[in-house]
Amino acid sequence: MTDLLLLNVSNGLIIGAFYVLMALGLSLILNLSGVINFAHGGFLALGGYLAYTLAPYVGFWMALFLSPLLVAVLGLIVERTMMHHMYRRDPLYSLLLTFGLAFIFEDSTRAIWGASGKPFSVPAYLANPVSSKLFFLTHYRLLIVVIATLVVGALFLALRYTREGIRIRAGTLDLDTVSSLGVNVRRLRTFNFALGTYLAGLAGVLAAGQIGVEPTMGAGLLMPSFVAIIVGGVGSLPGTLLGGLLIGVAAGVTTVFWPAASEAVIYVMMALVLLVRPRGLLGEEGLLS
Amino acid sequence: MAEALLEVRGVTKAFGSLVAVNDVSLRVPPGELHAVIGPNGAGKTTFFNMISGFFAPSSGRIVFEGRDVTRLAPHRRVRIGMARTFQITEIFPELSVRENVRIATEVAAGYRLRFWLGRAAEADVARHVDEVLALCGLAAKADRLVGELAHGDQRAAEIAMALALRPRLLLLDEPTAGMGDQETYEITSLIRRLHRNSRYTIVLIEHDMRVVFHLADRMTVLDQGKLLAQGTPAEIAANEAVQAAYLGKAA
Amino acid sequence: MRIAGDRRRWIVLAAVWLLLLTTPFWLLHVGGYMALGTRVAVLALAAMSLNFLLGFTGVLSFGHGAYFGLGAYGTGLALKFLTHSTPLALVLGTLLGGVAGALLGALIVRRRGVYFAMVTIAFGQVFYFTAFRWSSLTGGDDGLNGFARQPLHFPGWTADIASDATLFYYFVLLVFAIGTGAMGLLLRSPFGRTLLAIRENERRARFLGIPIEQHIWLAFSISTLFTALAGGLYALLNNFADPTLLNYNQSGEIVIMIVLGGMRSFWGPLVGAAVFVVLQDYLSSLTQNWMSFLGAIFVLAVLFFPRGVLGMRLAGTSGAAKPAAPAPGPASPSSS
Repeated sequence: MTDLLLLNVSNGLIIGAFYVLMALGLSLILNLSGVINFAHGGFLALGGYLAYTLAPYVGFWMALFLSPLLVAVLGLIVERTMMHHMYRRDPLYSLLLTFGLAFIFEDSTRAIWGASGKPFSVPAYLANPVSSKLFFLTHYRLLIVVIATLVVGALFLALRYTREGIRIRAGTLDLDTVSSLGVNVRRLRTFNFALGTYLAGLAGVLAAGQIGVEPTMGAGLLMPSFVAIIVGGVGSLPGTLLGGLLIGVAAGVTTVFWPAASEAVIYVMMALVLLVRPRGLLGEEGLLS
Repeated sequence: MAEALLEVRGVTKAFGSLVAVNDVSLRVPPGELHAVIGPNGAGKTTFFNMISGFFAPSSGRIVFEGRDVTRLAPHRRVRIGMARTFQITEIFPELSVRENVRIATEVAAGYRLRFWLGRAAEADVARHVDEVLALCGLAAKADRLVGELAHGDQRAAEIAMALALRPRLLLLDEPTAGMGDQETYEITSLIRRLHRNSRYTIVLIEHDMRVVFHLADRMTVLDQGKLLAQGTPAEIAANEAVQAAYLGKAA
Repeated sequence: MRIAGDRRRWIVLAAVWLLLLTTPFWLLHVGGYMALGTRVAVLALAAMSLNFLLGFTGVLSFGHGAYFGLGAYGTGLALKFLTHSTPLALVLGTLLGGVAGALLGALIVRRRGVYFAMVTIAFGQVFYFTAFRWSSLTGGDDGLNGFARQPLHFPGWTADIASDATLFYYFVLLVFAIGTGAMGLLLRSPFGRTLLAIRENERRARFLGIPIEQHIWLAFSISTLFTALAGGLYALLNNFADPTLLNYNQSGEIVIMIVLGGMRSFWGPLVGAAVFVVLQDYLSSLTQNWMSFLGAIFVLAVLFFPRGVLGMRLAGTSGAAKPAAPAPGPASPSSS
């Protein structure tokens, strides 16, 4: 029982790591541009498929490095050609745009790589368990946690100490002021969008090594990421981080006791949080509400 | 002295260490048009927001018809007869002038949750709306969208919405702000009509001196949050402190 | 001008109903089939119900698929286990969706804009997973089978809507008339005008003394109730319900119908639903990649027809079409 619980907590943490990477990207875009990026799951799946395609030629590690960057380039193009028309309009329109893009992404993925899932093999030394006792904890799972931790840590440091990062945080709070200080908000949003999609692409590669690739692999992570953002508090990146980990672990633990409810439990958590603390755990009142 | 409709007793508003309004009092008897003036930063907007209920004063009291309203929420003040307009024109832009006024009328009559109105109530509402529109000179434009009207007409529509609430005190926040000469003239005439012909009690804040001296029965001059002078336009014009602090600067 | 506006409204109303009532007589001649016409009517009711909230109250729900699906499942389950009366099952399904909407509405009514949209989507998924997981009751992923709409029995006459597609169309049209008629009357009532006021300027509406949250909650509940009614009809049309009806993709489709038709127009969503349903029917018969085409419809509609098919015409007469472009007119708070 303890082992089972431990297994599922560690499962939960790993799922939580995916939620966090995905939700942080969504959150960055939502905070600065007021856009819910429905296509985020599509970017994630694309990251996985690119790694799947590249790995035989350049090896796993290079694929892990390149794929998210390529995804970010696509994010940049999408932002430049379409998204930036939406910022001055009602949020409805950006929602529908990204919704349509999500359809196109998923369908294109299916057309290019096929509808059925594909296995994605990581190097053998990564696939081995850490020890015989902790048979479920492979090196790859550790790698996921380490990379997610490093990237999230770097992101938070960058937001605190780099010029662009400070601008992004300031823009979340008061875009008009940032704009009047002479910051090129257009470029900032493009960069920010690309950064968000980079995180999605990275999550995609990592997820591919764990569960393989399939066209809907990202769409399934979209809703939990929404929940992570709402639970943590819209507008707060630390909140998103906390929310992602919380619902990941909650889902993992629920799997032990009541597998059928493992999806529903995160929505129950969201309802409870909204009842007790409408702005979310770390959210600020008034922001985007 | 006649019973005052509105009485402000020594209100002060401090934001942290900044005292925006400092111990200002005011009595407005029924039927008076009272203007609050002062240079930019004199605290008149803060003062006005305390009367209409958007800020609670740090100290002092506000009494309307003998009732203490110091801490009453803005929309509750509307319900007991204090209606305000906004400096930034606040209307329902994609609805017609008639609908704007009609919504205000229906809400004031307590019909906001009605899914249908009887014939009699419907006719009552329509009559009241027509009266208000005629009074504000908007009868001919009643079916235009408010968002399409000229700035002056939008302001008139907003005053019409305030009148639709059947107020006993009308609070006007810089009614001629941002207007050209012609529009200023039209709004000024409207306010004068409301005051002289329809006997509305009005408190307005304004920085355009020309407007005020021709309209007001009495005036209050604020400077740096403090009461500088109070009296008829003639008294104010002759007041040396006012000339020094306000008129001198403006000239 | 007021007279002219009234006259135009009557003409539009007459034209719409003439088209809807005569559909069985011309639809087959233009290459359609009866169930297609029925589907348009059903989804139009759903779109118009959501537009009650989106276009007329100005509140963006992206989770109405859930209430559509709840209506469908409720109606299907009622027919399967509780009653043989089609209308009663429809009423029960509608109530299921409406009550769920009212309960959730109370929880989220203080949220606005994007946040509101996110919360509605996320909560909608609860019902999706419930239908998906509770397979002993709902059939899970395979969908809910084993029920069929029943003929209507009147004294001396039986309307066989079960096997006569045309009769069923008229049954749907009758329900459509009740639903849209009720919403149309509501929008012309004092309550309805408070919703317009909230859409136009929430701050001002609050200051007039309208309790915004209460009114938005009512609008949300009414909107979900009629969306569930449409969902019930959908289950009757197919004698089937499956979890995808509850999914956010369904919500997105309903929203795009509204945008295609024009959300400032009462009948716009009907046009949008017709365009969408016919296109979807045509595309899915033509290509396997119809999802891409569907996505392209979304993208193109948003980029090039933000005001919808009907909205294009309106855009010419009214400079201040708000959601499409926050008009730089004198009404915007830039004049201070």
